[in-house]
Amino acid sequence: MPQTGSTPGDDALRKTIAEKLAGGLQTEAFPRAETSEMVNEIVGRLRAEAVGDLDKKLIIGGFTDHTIEIDDIEQPCETCMYYLVHRKFCELPELMLPVEPEWSCRLWRI
Amino acid sequence: MANLLWLQGGACSGNTMSFLNAEEPSACDLVTDFGINVLWQPSLGLELGDNVKSILEKCISGEIQLDIFVFEGTVINAPDGTGEWNRFCGEPMKNWVKKLCDAAQYVVAIGDCATWGGIPATAPNPSDSEGLQFLKRAKGGALGENFVSKSGLPVINIPGCPAHPDWVTQILVAVASGRGGDLTLDEFQRPKTFFSSFTQTGCTRNMHFAYKVSTTAFGQRKGCLFYDLGCRGPMTHSPCNRILWNRQSSKTRAGMPCLGCTEPEFPFFDLAPGTVFKTQTVMGVPKDLPTGVDKKGYMKLTAAAKNASPAWAEEDIFVV
Repeated sequence: MPQTGSTPGDDALRKTIAEKLAGGLQTEAFPRAETSEMVNEIVGRLRAEAVGDLDKKLIIGGFTDHTIEIDDIEQPCETCMYYLVHRKFCELPELMLPVEPEWSCRLWRI
Repeated sequence: MANLLWLQGGACSGNTMSFLNAEEPSACDLVTDFGINVLWQPSLGLELGDNVKSILEKCISGEIQLDIFVFEGTVINAPDGTGEWNRFCGEPMKNWVKKLCDAAQYVVAIGDCATWGGIPATAPNPSDSEGLQFLKRAKGGALGENFVSKSGLPVINIPGCPAHPDWVTQILVAVASGRGGDLTLDEFQRPKTFFSSFTQTGCTRNMHFAYKVSTTAFGQRKGCLFYDLGCRGPMTHSPCNRILWNRQSSKTRAGMPCLGCTEPEFPFFDLAPGTVFKTQTVMGVPKDLPTGVDKKGYMKLTAAAKNASPAWAEEDIFVV
């Protein structure tokens, strides 16, 4: 049976990510991925540059430890279709990271 | 006895292959049980050359009564409107199509190419292809907007790439058995009995659609294919999940997104790179929402559904 709840490993990595974001890691939170072409470009960069590299995933993905609102649309992880509610986990294949519901990234989609 | 003639224009023969796999009823049942006399069909006809031409001419003159004319593939007009790129029996196919449609009691277009142009008519449409009575969404096509066959019906469109075999044989039976007048057609002249519900109707992934859990890779049994992989099931009219393919499956059941192949715009976005098998979004919101749902409602519904999703919705529950 696949994992559904957050594991100790997830919790530890989530804490590490939270510290990096709180510590001022500069990520490419803007511009947001407004069009599908931009989404494809960012995902392409993740595939090319960020495999196995946590910092690059956070930077290229544009992670923030708070919700970004743009064009009257709030973009928290918790409403993103890649978010697993019970595991608090981003399931986008190029990211696959534990997150918090109020975080955000520029690949958000509903 | 109902005489049926089947010709192909700009086609890959996929609809003929589909037709030959029909089960309820089968292609053989049409002949043995429902009194359909197949005058000629590209993959079944025994005649060649002048003998085929003779059949066509007799149908046009009325010497042979043409009850059902089936056309598969586009009507090709290139070059310069002559149709010379698709010659058949000594003249452009488009000329045969016009004359045979005028002679037929019923005209049935099978597959996207014959209905609205399909893949050959995708921009830049080098063969100047069109369907019998539509070019994509625009009514008109090769026969013109006002065409009706001798029965009084316009072209009966059975779209799909290919059309499901049983959609084809069941409509042919209805027409051959004198119940053609009972057919009700939608705005794109598709039989409503098949094309009123959605591909999503009966989809085994509806629970995941409801709880907004996404499939993130082909073949995954968990999740809905709409959110990321470009599935058009919620806005495509077809019974693909009611009348199953090979009587046991469908694209979405196999983990493959619906491509919307029964809609006039197929293939969507002119097959531009990055548009196939990928949900197109604007600022994270799908460009094409489920039919009848607006953006505001979609966002409210999905946020609430996501929040309420049970743990099992995030698991692969299809344990073998």
